[in-house]
Amino acid sequence: MTTEASPQEGGAPHRATYATNIYVGVVAAVGLSLTAAAISIDGLVIDATFWVMVLLAVLAWLFGSVEVDAGRVGLSFTSIVLLATMALVGPAGAGVVGTVLGPLQPGRTPLNAKIFNTGMFATMGVVGGSAYIAAGGTPGDSPGSTWQIMRHIGLPVLVADVVQLAVNLVLIAMVVRISTGLPMRAQAGRLLGTSGPAHLGYGIIAFILVVLWGPARLGSASVLLILPPLVVAQWAYRQYSEEVKGHERALLVLVAAVEAKAPHLVGHSARVAELSASMAEHLGLRSQMVADARVAGMLHDLGLTTLPTGLVRSSGVVGGTDLQGYPARGVRLLRGLSFLSGALDAIAHHRDAVTPRAGGEDISVAALVVGLADEYDLLTEVGTPDGVVLTDDEAVARLRRTPAGRDDLLRALEQALSRRAGVVS
Amino acid sequence: MRPVLPKATSSRAWTVLVLGVAVLATGLYAGAATLPSQLELHWLTVAVFVVAITVGELFRLRMPSGRDAAPLASASALAIAFLGKIDGESLFDVSAGFVVLVVTAGLLLAAVVRGVRGGAVGLDQVAARLVGVAVAAWLARGVAPTGRSLWDLEVASSVPRSVVALGMVGVAGIGIGVEIVLTSAVRSERQRTPWLAALRDEFGEVAPLTFAVVVSGPMVALMAPVLGLLSLPVALFPLAITYVAVGRYARNRVTYRQTIATLSHLTEHGGYTPTGHAERVADLSLRIGRVLGVSDRDLRDVEYAALLHDLGQISLIEPIPDGATVLAAPSDQRDIADEGARIIRHAEGLERVADYVEAQTTPYRQVRELGEEVPVASRIIKVANAFDDLTGGSDDPVQVRAANERIHLGLGYQYDPEVVEALAVATSDTAVGRVGEPEPVAR
Repeated sequence: MTTEASPQEGGAPHRATYATNIYVGVVAAVGLSLTAAAISIDGLVIDATFWVMVLLAVLAWLFGSVEVDAGRVGLSFTSIVLLATMALVGPAGAGVVGTVLGPLQPGRTPLNAKIFNTGMFATMGVVGGSAYIAAGGTPGDSPGSTWQIMRHIGLPVLVADVVQLAVNLVLIAMVVRISTGLPMRAQAGRLLGTSGPAHLGYGIIAFILVVLWGPARLGSASVLLILPPLVVAQWAYRQYSEEVKGHERALLVLVAAVEAKAPHLVGHSARVAELSASMAEHLGLRSQMVADARVAGMLHDLGLTTLPTGLVRSSGVVGGTDLQGYPARGVRLLRGLSFLSGALDAIAHHRDAVTPRAGGEDISVAALVVGLADEYDLLTEVGTPDGVVLTDDEAVARLRRTPAGRDDLLRALEQALSRRAGVVS
Repeated sequence: MRPVLPKATSSRAWTVLVLGVAVLATGLYAGAATLPSQLELHWLTVAVFVVAITVGELFRLRMPSGRDAAPLASASALAIAFLGKIDGESLFDVSAGFVVLVVTAGLLLAAVVRGVRGGAVGLDQVAARLVGVAVAAWLARGVAPTGRSLWDLEVASSVPRSVVALGMVGVAGIGIGVEIVLTSAVRSERQRTPWLAALRDEFGEVAPLTFAVVVSGPMVALMAPVLGLLSLPVALFPLAITYVAVGRYARNRVTYRQTIATLSHLTEHGGYTPTGHAERVADLSLRIGRVLGVSDRDLRDVEYAALLHDLGQISLIEPIPDGATVLAAPSDQRDIADEGARIIRHAEGLERVADYVEAQTTPYRQVRELGEEVPVASRIIKVANAFDDLTGGSDDPVQVRAANERIHLGLGYQYDPEVVEALAVATSDTAVGRVGEPEPVAR
């Protein structure tokens, strides 16, 4: 459930911010009035079950949620708590718990996001809870056979799960539509793809909790049984995401090794990585290819580390020389790392991309991008061993004669450079 | 592949194996008379659990330290120890011995499948698990301090379920605890790690998973009266999520290590250090570390530092002959170590690794005489590096002995005597200090 997205992300224009705030206000008003209506129709029984659910909501906040791989995996307790409340307490209770859950979302969120979340969760609670009852759900404590439990708890939990997910997707897609102008259907589809399967899992866990609580007559003790596996999974995801970050940082050691070998290249790898990624983005490549271009840009000179130090320090690599086939040496070093497989081709052929010759149609876009970024940086920033540094125009004129000197690539380079200048100034 | 039976010298492994066989024999003896009728009555339940245990055993998790865990099998085995009423099936009123037989069937089936596939069988590990489950089953069904066993309370609907659940979780915890103690006993003997260190690591690394397993088994039994046999897959679902999460974490650890290993290849491809040197030093450092009882958490950094101990050679203008730093001048050794540490410090989170690399050249004399603090990791790497430089990676007994002797000459001056002693233990037997079922390593 990706509710932490600030409605104002992406620097939306002022008018959109205004519209967004109105929308947030409407969602909050709808959520709170639905909850109030549910309370006045059904009445709210404030018993132990209710308090345990509120406690769980607070716990969900304390444990936080872990987002790995841009929300593809991870575990959010919020949906589980909300679903279980729908079944065990009813729509009114779920509305109240939703209202509590809203401002308690993990992470630092701006005020209007908190208000939006409050309204959204309350709406989800009341609508989902009503769907649970409409699907034949029982308050949960009626004992029965396997079949009856599937009919009166299993199916209703599934229906409530789908309904709350639908409410969630529509409300979020709308806020994104209003604040950034991205089409709603694409947004909803993307959200469904990333968090849909996880929600089915949350449904099963909520189902277990309800069955243990009611028919298996465990009451609130069921929470203690269901929590340990979830907390452990949460812990493991947290460890995982920290390891992933550590791993990314470890790649910097490879760059540091290049710079130890060739002190004149300090900062070069980082600049090429940034330029390559930025160019790939401007060319409209897929996000994985952008990431590959970045890594390839970062590690394109790794092969230099296997050459004699004296040779590397005395000779520049400007002008299409490829210094004893160092690109291939770099590839040989990195071949065993499966997560880099997408970057190897660009590393292998980045020199070919800027070696003036006929043809060059067989060189991949990624290699052209990295080669262009590399050569541009060498010409304009690193310079030749005797300290000659070219101006932008001189460099571009020279690059135009190489396979990478295609108009679209040079345009992407220009855009990437102006974006970099914008960041710097 | 490891031999099916433990070596004659590993007495603890034999003890555990004998315990397992004794448990099985008791089960057979107690359950033989009623076995056919029970099987006829409960065939579906038995079949479902045997399959669950077998499958769970085949989908083991390899933890970062190399330990194997089979959480889904453990939870299924514990579940059947507690199983009572099952919706749609007859009351699972069987002896603890019968439970042992069912679990044995599942474990052995998995062991056979693994054996056929050419994997390690590890009978002592199977025996340890069996003893643990037997203890839990006996505590649940056989022990009746007030005239009624835990199982009797479970079936009597008048007793509050939360009390029953608490009892089950406690018993499951004891059963798993027994298994862990036995496993760590065997492991400490095989690796020559102090038992307490092995026990601490065993509990430490699997503790989170164990929590999840200890509640999942009882959860199956508590849901069975209303959900029938469906309760097994349903109640194990949260544990399956845990399994996936822990598996992801463990696999990422592997790729992280690959990246670090790539760094160690830089000097090898450049001809500065001999091929495989860093990997061998890392392997030996790990084994020495285990003999010394270094914790798993620290071993990771020991391994990374050992892999990277020669990284500083990368900016040398002239390679040193054969990359053997043990033969280089002390000041050159220090420069190399400092340069390596400087490069490693570029990555946040690897500071300790950098410290270890930096301190690897300090002679032990400075620890003894000047009271200088040198991390044990650095002392280990110093010895392992010297050993590999001297043998050139050969395990020819003559060279190994010569290297050991030469290192002994530097005892107390260059090298930490405790580490050197551990080196002697580690080089005496290839099994020392290795975790898990050894896999054929291409050298």
